[in-house]
Amino acid sequence: MMRAACCILCTVILMQPAGAQNGPAVPSFVDETASSGVNSAYTGDWEYMVGGGVAVFDCNSDGFEDMLVAGGEAMAKFYVNDSPRGGALKFTAQQSGLELDKVTGAYPLDIDSDGTMDVMLLRVGENVAMRGLGGCKFERANEAWGFDGGDAWSTSIAATWEKGNRWPTIAIGNYIDRAAEMEPWGSCTDNWLHRPDTQQNKFAAPLPLKPSYCPLSLMFTDWSRSGTPDLRVSNDREYYEGGQEQMWKIAPGEAPVLYTEAEGWKYLRIWGMGIASYDVDFDGYPEYFLTSMADNKLQTLAEVPKEGKPKPTYKDIAFARGVTAHRPFMGDDLKPSTAWHTQFDDVNNDGRVDLFIAKGNVAEMPDFAMKDPNNLLLQGADGKFVEAADKAGVASTAVSRGGALADFNLDGLLDIVVVNRWQPAQLWRNTTADAGNWIEVKLAQNAPNRDAIGAWLEVTRGETVMRREIIVGGGHASGQAGWIHMGLGGAAEVSVRVQWPDGTWSGSHSVRANSFIILDGAKAAAMPWTPPR
Amino acid sequence: MINRRSLIAACGAFGFSAAFRTAQADQPHTPQAVLCNWYKLVLKLVRHTPTYSPPVASRSFAYLGITAFEAAAGGSEELRSLAGQLNGLDGIPRRETVQTHDEALVIHAALAFAVRNFFGNTGPTGQRVMKKFEEKLFAELSEGLGAEVIQRSVAHGRAVAAHVLDWSAGDGGAVIENMGFPHDFELTPGAGKWVPTSLIAQQQMPLLPDWGQNRTFAIATGASCPLPEPPAYSEDKSSSFYREALEVYDTTRALTDEQKLIARFWSDDPMLSPTPPGHWVAIAIHILERDKAGLAMTADTLARLGIALSDAFVACWHAKFEFDLLRPVTYIRRHIDAAWEPLLITPPFPEYPSGHSTQSGAAADVLTAVFGDNFAFVDATHERDGMAPRAFPSFWAAAQEAGISRLYGGIHFRAAIARGLDQGRCVAQHVNSLRTRT
Repeated sequence: MMRAACCILCTVILMQPAGAQNGPAVPSFVDETASSGVNSAYTGDWEYMVGGGVAVFDCNSDGFEDMLVAGGEAMAKFYVNDSPRGGALKFTAQQSGLELDKVTGAYPLDIDSDGTMDVMLLRVGENVAMRGLGGCKFERANEAWGFDGGDAWSTSIAATWEKGNRWPTIAIGNYIDRAAEMEPWGSCTDNWLHRPDTQQNKFAAPLPLKPSYCPLSLMFTDWSRSGTPDLRVSNDREYYEGGQEQMWKIAPGEAPVLYTEAEGWKYLRIWGMGIASYDVDFDGYPEYFLTSMADNKLQTLAEVPKEGKPKPTYKDIAFARGVTAHRPFMGDDLKPSTAWHTQFDDVNNDGRVDLFIAKGNVAEMPDFAMKDPNNLLLQGADGKFVEAADKAGVASTAVSRGGALADFNLDGLLDIVVVNRWQPAQLWRNTTADAGNWIEVKLAQNAPNRDAIGAWLEVTRGETVMRREIIVGGGHASGQAGWIHMGLGGAAEVSVRVQWPDGTWSGSHSVRANSFIILDGAKAAAMPWTPPR
Repeated sequence: MINRRSLIAACGAFGFSAAFRTAQADQPHTPQAVLCNWYKLVLKLVRHTPTYSPPVASRSFAYLGITAFEAAAGGSEELRSLAGQLNGLDGIPRRETVQTHDEALVIHAALAFAVRNFFGNTGPTGQRVMKKFEEKLFAELSEGLGAEVIQRSVAHGRAVAAHVLDWSAGDGGAVIENMGFPHDFELTPGAGKWVPTSLIAQQQMPLLPDWGQNRTFAIATGASCPLPEPPAYSEDKSSSFYREALEVYDTTRALTDEQKLIARFWSDDPMLSPTPPGHWVAIAIHILERDKAGLAMTADTLARLGIALSDAFVACWHAKFEFDLLRPVTYIRRHIDAAWEPLLITPPFPEYPSGHSTQSGAAADVLTAVFGDNFAFVDATHERDGMAPRAFPSFWAAAQEAGISRLYGGIHFRAAIARGLDQGRCVAQHVNSLRTRT
């Protein structure tokens, strides 16, 4: 039914962003790496060829999103955000307790639902759950929360609150057996599912997810809109034997079960490195972009029955939509590309979600591009994407891995941070002068799951309904929490509502464009918010 | 020739899953065990090196086989050099003194040099494994040997390998750009001509369109084993062409579980398997180990098999781009069922003849010449990928199954399979005419 609720044509008519008459408006970014105060590289040799993430979240309650950059062999670095609203990006390195070595990725997650953000650190070695203490201070909580960090090469994470639980369920993706020096291929180690224990205030012993195939991205996602998210796993075919892409049914209280070919799951084997999801075609169901090497996929459901309940059968529309991003779009290096972090978001506020991809050679793989620029693919009115990273000023050819699109200076425009291997992370400030309108939304509800992970946010402009799922996971080793940004095109006012994780709907809130609001499940009205500086 | 290791006949007792655990096997240091173990590493590298499409893999199997063969022949009274018999190969470096070489170390040094070069583009994990494997094996093989013997053996192995590598550079297949897909290629106009079938942007061009022009080994050129034209293209429902397409369509819509299994067993997708030529090399190694073949037998078999596989691909590619025929998926969707989906992913190059059939026909006849007719064997190539071993009464039976698997998979018409097998047999005749024994 949701598929029929609107059509691309309606969307085209309604969205009139400035400069969009001849294709999508190209945003402008300024590289502020040097002046930002961020100076952190992802380092290390073979065991750090993957990973290199960044966690973006607000830990001092000023509304500005701070960040933790994975350092690989070096210590992770935490930066507090001192940017003035609408001004240049400014960060200050600060001791937070998160400064551990061997960190491959990081995801913010309020595990104990105390309203203070915690952080999950993925590592080569023991993973660590870091409890937020407030004021951007953190402490190890593995023992207090019964979290078994294990000893693996952890590369990916996803989290959800299963129905009825007061404590989150966390899936951890693990990579190659580090001890299998002579025969690393086929040595994928078990992924883990950390569910709550019976007391619901800490974790039970992790459950191995067998078979495991060296994932580089995990995502709990309600792909069928059933109300219960499943676990999508994007696996690196370089190292598995007999493997493929996977999706686990995660039914509360039951053992995880893989979707099968008989149920519609199609056999797909790629160098899975990152997952991004978004309802790109406005049909109510998320599309999934999967990064790989020269073979990126944009998946949409093959069929959505009128009564809903689709089968988990996806078709690849990357070629048709112009998002194959299979080789560098500029320069003279035409070898195949290597894609890592990916994220859908609207960088020009035209109401159509765009796609960012971080690119970079694994390491000295001469068959693949060594100068592999990041992609910024802008979605046009026809639903096709066009490359604009060079024109927008973000086409770095550094060896990129993780990243995030976030509004660091709270001006309604999404900025970009990218983590690079062996080279400093880069920051670009979005300075687009003629961008469309926007809103930014924060969701809140009573404990547990204070940040409403698993909710769906709906923003309606005329007959166009934009939807996005609130997730912890996906991307490449990089997680975000905080403001949810939606571009509005020319709309001056929109209707906003939320389907909370328990399936109930909020009322519709009329919200003026270019504003911040907090939607609290416990409160009837949307609360406007103004940046403190 | 005096050498303690060459007296041991067994080829090494490793299972595939223990390919590199050299120190744990009971006879890990015979020259034939060294050769087999390097090949097992090569099978892994083929799978994990992105440029290694089946034609590229077959070329490396040929050069690696010749490298090992010539390294072994220099110290063998059984083997006769291929110099002067293969196109452009002569002047193989000779040993200074036969008595003071360690055969296992010669083989090791030759393969180490060759593998490092032929797989120089593999990823960081492959590089790491190659380095550790070479270092570990060298340390084990050198133990108890005098410094001069070590130096002389390594130098000779490297010299042979370097000579073969130099020779390989001029065959037309040494440099692979963009994983073998040209950046520009003009499709042949015409209803029956090949068009891209993939949704992958890179594969909108055909794989290695000039491969059929490469220098061959045992056959004179890529045109040396020509094929008749495929059935005349027609959209008429009474035509042979339509009937062949309908056969693919009908068969694939009613596949038995066994037929599906056969299609997947021989699918041998690049980067997900050792590729079709690697599949046959895996079969050969399994048999050589099982039968405890000596160095001469092992080196001879792997050289001849590699040459046959490589020449088969050149001949096949020559024909593919001569006839430039469209794939079943294109024809069937246009004229029979627009929604039809083949079981296997259609390879990104013209249809006729079937490459797997050509190279399987060549491999089967070469292995039959080595091991004999009706030689039963079990093929466990894909066991670690979860596919059960399959037993065959003969190499030819396996080749026929490999051929028909492409029809079950929906990627080839019957004529491409039958004539591909014929073309393979033609290639094998040339290879089997080589004089490898004294």
